[in-house]
Amino acid sequence: MRLIRRMAARRARPGRLAIQVGLAFALAMITIGIVGFGVADHWVSSRIDRSLTYHANKYVSKVEGDPAAEAHLRSAILEWQRRKVLSERTYVVFDRDGRRIAGRLDIRPPKPGFSYVRFTAGGRHVEEGRALATRVPGGGLFVVVQYSEAVEGLHEILPMAVLAICLVALLLGMSATFLFARLTAERLAETQNIAAAIAAGDLSRRIATDRLDGMFAVQADSLNQMLDHMEELVRSQQLFSSNLAHDLRTPLMRLRSLLERASRDDRSAFEPMLERAERECASIIAIFDALLRLAEIETGRHPTAMRPISLRPLLEDIAETMEPVITDHGGTLAIRQLDDVTVTGDVDLINQLLINLLENVATHTPRGTRVTLALERNERGAMITLNDDGPGLSTGEFARVTRPFERGSAVSARTGSGLGLAIASAIARFHHGHLELLDAAPGLEVRISIPANDGVDLPAQDARQAS
Amino acid sequence: MHLLIVEDDRVIADHIVSGLNRIGHSTTLARTGAEAIKACADRSHHAVILDRMLPDIDGMAVIDHVRASGDAVPVLMLSALGSVKNRIEGLRRGADDYLAKPFSIDELAARLDAIARRSPARPGKARIEIGLLQLDASSHRATYRGRTAVLNRKQYSLLAHLMGHADTIVTRAMLLEAVWSLSVSTTTTNIVESNMSRLRTALQDLGCDPIETQRGSGYVLRSDRCG
Repeated sequence: MRLIRRMAARRARPGRLAIQVGLAFALAMITIGIVGFGVADHWVSSRIDRSLTYHANKYVSKVEGDPAAEAHLRSAILEWQRRKVLSERTYVVFDRDGRRIAGRLDIRPPKPGFSYVRFTAGGRHVEEGRALATRVPGGGLFVVVQYSEAVEGLHEILPMAVLAICLVALLLGMSATFLFARLTAERLAETQNIAAAIAAGDLSRRIATDRLDGMFAVQADSLNQMLDHMEELVRSQQLFSSNLAHDLRTPLMRLRSLLERASRDDRSAFEPMLERAERECASIIAIFDALLRLAEIETGRHPTAMRPISLRPLLEDIAETMEPVITDHGGTLAIRQLDDVTVTGDVDLINQLLINLLENVATHTPRGTRVTLALERNERGAMITLNDDGPGLSTGEFARVTRPFERGSAVSARTGSGLGLAIASAIARFHHGHLELLDAAPGLEVRISIPANDGVDLPAQDARQAS
Repeated sequence: MHLLIVEDDRVIADHIVSGLNRIGHSTTLARTGAEAIKACADRSHHAVILDRMLPDIDGMAVIDHVRASGDAVPVLMLSALGSVKNRIEGLRRGADDYLAKPFSIDELAARLDAIARRSPARPGKARIEIGLLQLDASSHRATYRGRTAVLNRKQYSLLAHLMGHADTIVTRAMLLEAVWSLSVSTTTTNIVESNMSRLRTALQDLGCDPIETQRGSGYVLRSDRCG
């Protein structure tokens, strides 16, 4: 319940994300503003420089090679001054000694080439202009000065412009993010409600995907898939529990019946009854021990010593152990083939796996059943095959009988813990392998594959030739 | 033998005490870890039966305490935690044997005998001899009065274990654990019986079958029958 309350309390808020995105957006806008201003500034400046070059050339080209260049330029400028009333451009001529001989702009002679000059235009306000100074024959200096209101203005508005852009961008960015976050939260709200319902125990709920699009739909689909899987797991767990209860009830009922009879009957019948009661106890304990073992293997809590195991001697030992057991049950055990294969594993677990399978054959097949054991090395690793010519299983039962407490239909419900094949299958999976049941027609074939660890990479073709 | 029983459950403790008294052992009962440590101090016991879960301290802590004081008294640990993991943990921490609940008194008594006697002839030695019966570890051959039988690996281990615990009862569960690393509750067939009968046939062919089946699923190898 606390979990649900916590989930409900944690409403989706835009929070830090919106501020972060807004800031990032503003930063990007500032960068763009600065770059844009730089480009505009460069463009205007180069236009001014081109204009200066053009106007300087216009005058200087006329006095090329002229010894009286200064005088000619002076008169040309004076003439220009007389004609021009308004201009953002002006001309100054200096003689070879640096004295201003024409032009009204009070500046000191700049260095030849482009430069910036500062001047007072009438009042006390200092202005800055771009100048191009050219040496003329006779040693004088011809200077064209252009004063650009546009460039000045551009420089003046820069800090304000950047600040304004920054603020607007921050505002826009954050509102966009808040809006986006809000829309996202609205879409996620439904998922949250479903999650709360599931946490409260209703596993049948699913997220409706019809009103979702894009990544929300994809996410909802994958969550729904996960829920399907979870529901199946829970269902199998419930089945497991009810099967367990059933399997425990049977020996417990028998035990109770025995105790009741013992309390009624005379003492002479006690001994056999007590023995039977002990057997029932043993079968209950066996179920618990097998369950414990299964859980240990499946959750990987088995204290395992994984090391290279040579399967051949292990199988020889198992065959030697189980041959008398199967013979005593009226069957026969033979080895068909034993290849040399090494796998990485827990020797006790593999031992138990094979003993379990052979015990299954011994207990669940009629007298006269012939059992064959084989160990082959194929391209994928070790394959252990156990064949019997007993009654086998119907193919429909193959998947079922490897689950806990499921038995073949021909098997009486009382034999064994009902966990033998489930444990065997879990052990195979523990070794990254698998257990398969096949129809040996007649009889059953159990095939266990475990990846090899002998450094021999057997190509598929060689494996076929070898066999 | 004089035994110390450390068990807090009254019914189980009474069962163990009366069962062991009936077969001729004297017992001291401790119900907590602290009592157990105090009782261990005089070192008058031949073996300790220690429940793993006690009301005050963990049974493991009791073993640690006993071993830290330099006492090597054999300890048999009892536990409701019967998983392979618990068993290995118990043995690693210094218990000599580990028995999961529920168990029978016969099983408990046989295991106590085994750990208390600590027979010097341990399997793994190159050659085990009881009377005229000899068992060779490398060739897995049993020899008696000039006659020889070759045993398979498991028959060899069975005989070696019985010879190592000659004249004591060795239960089916003990043999399953020692020879096959299997637990009695997860096996459904008579693995021990079937293999034992093959071993005994081989020994009878030699002219010496010192193994006796005890009622209550145990075996004894009688050293006086190997003469």
